[in-house]
Amino acid sequence: MKTVSLIGAASYFPPRIVENSFFQDNEAERPHIMFRGVKQRHHVSREETASGMIVHAARKLADRLNLNLHKDVDILLTNVTSPDQPFTGCGADAAKALGIRPAWILDIHNGGCVSFISMIAQARALMSCYGARTALLCNVQNSAGRLFGSEQTRKLKQARIPGDGCGVAYLTASGESPIKEVVHHNHCEYAGDMTVVRTDGSEWWEPSMACTYVDFNEAKLSHIMSRANRIVPEAIREACRRAELPTSEIGTLITNQPNNLFLRNWREALQVPAQRHVSTFERHGNLFGAALPICLEEAIDSGQLKANSHLVLGGFSHAGDFAASAVIHWKPAC
Amino acid sequence: MNDVSTAIDRLPGVHRIENCSKDDMTSLSMEMTHAVYPHDEVYGQYCSLEEFVDCPPEKAFEYLADVYTLQEWTYSLRDFTPMDESGMVIATDKIGGATKIYTRAVANREAMTVDYHCAWDQGDELWMIYLMRVVPAQLVLKRPGCVILWTNCRHPYYDNNPFPNKAPKDRKVWVGDMWPFFYAGHKVELDNLKHILEYRHANGLPMTIGGKS
Repeated sequence: MKTVSLIGAASYFPPRIVENSFFQDNEAERPHIMFRGVKQRHHVSREETASGMIVHAARKLADRLNLNLHKDVDILLTNVTSPDQPFTGCGADAAKALGIRPAWILDIHNGGCVSFISMIAQARALMSCYGARTALLCNVQNSAGRLFGSEQTRKLKQARIPGDGCGVAYLTASGESPIKEVVHHNHCEYAGDMTVVRTDGSEWWEPSMACTYVDFNEAKLSHIMSRANRIVPEAIREACRRAELPTSEIGTLITNQPNNLFLRNWREALQVPAQRHVSTFERHGNLFGAALPICLEEAIDSGQLKANSHLVLGGFSHAGDFAASAVIHWKPAC
Repeated sequence: MNDVSTAIDRLPGVHRIENCSKDDMTSLSMEMTHAVYPHDEVYGQYCSLEEFVDCPPEKAFEYLADVYTLQEWTYSLRDFTPMDESGMVIATDKIGGATKIYTRAVANREAMTVDYHCAWDQGDELWMIYLMRVVPAQLVLKRPGCVILWTNCRHPYYDNNPFPNKAPKDRKVWVGDMWPFFYAGHKVELDNLKHILEYRHANGLPMTIGGKS
């Protein structure tokens, strides 16, 4: 396997900030603990496209890393929670808007909240097998505004948790900040516990005036919590063990950020102090797959991610059908 | 009754459906559910273990109720004396060198509980209490065999030996110093118990050994 490095990350947020009051139809009611802790989040507007969000974030990244996107992107990978179109992915649209022509464009539909790690693995495989040298990884979370912004769905108790944003990251075939280990665990037995439903019970593709939203089967919440408590530390421990990194020596931990309890439990299980666990949950809500690159940018910009330290990524997707982790030796050139 | 019920619902720390909604109860449960728990939080004040044993509950009870079987399944209790009129036996706890351990087994066949009341160095105050209960696995796991529950509580004497003068000379260790290892030690002994009970049952061997070693 070719040595591949993580070089940098950048974010874009839709301008619209949504406060908690947007969701409360009864001020006195305290939200369920699984749905607490977010103070504000961004929502995409009706006009905002996933590919447009990628363009904003990619240009910011190009400025930051001094990239010429026309020649510096061999691979374009995307994961979008709420695609602009049901058939086509967003990658080609984003490339068109950026005016670039990567050799490989892959729109990864699975992997959910840890699709960023899946994309790292895909990029590394393409670099190892086909000689690609550079990759732009793009995560778009746009389901908050699209699915939870309507009059009907914003009353749902889970509506306040998702927030929109786009995170992109850049990989190169180099030894600058090498990705040391990537661990993937498929837990297919848990597939199907997170579903997109309509308020009138119709399928998403059937004609209907009803709203569509993401539903977590409440009866299974306790199972999802117990799965997440187990499968995320399991994946991270395995990646750390393979990288010969005791979890107590994780310099910076970044996970997906579904709620504060999961974040607390993962830290405790890995014995990582809170200050080394970077999260923007309070400001941005659950960013789904975009949390990893967005928190990565935050970790770099805030100085939390220190040169010559180990960055560990991890998390799970959907209701537990997939868990992944990656260990990166962060030692940027400048 | 209603007054008491209302008063109960106002007690701090009491959560009933009358004073705590189902949503609040779920929130509380999630808050309390962690991925891992510190050892001291789980085993600091009480040390409880449990294990399935492929042996009929009556036979397991019979074995535990015979105090002399302690020399077989415990790690270090050996050289038992004959029982006195009060049911007390004296043995050596080899983990404490020449330490004498005084033991009386209190068994209740109906409840299938066997409590070992013990103490190091003296038999006047048996304060180390090992609480054991045999549960038919058919009831709780819908399978033959039994489940053995075992709990110790952290009596204050574990932290301070009240009878230091009765200890053998030059003994450095006190039983309470090992409290942080009680889970480990008792797990090893519970595994011993499981394997021995299953062996005795599978081979049709007697479930008591009386005064014989």
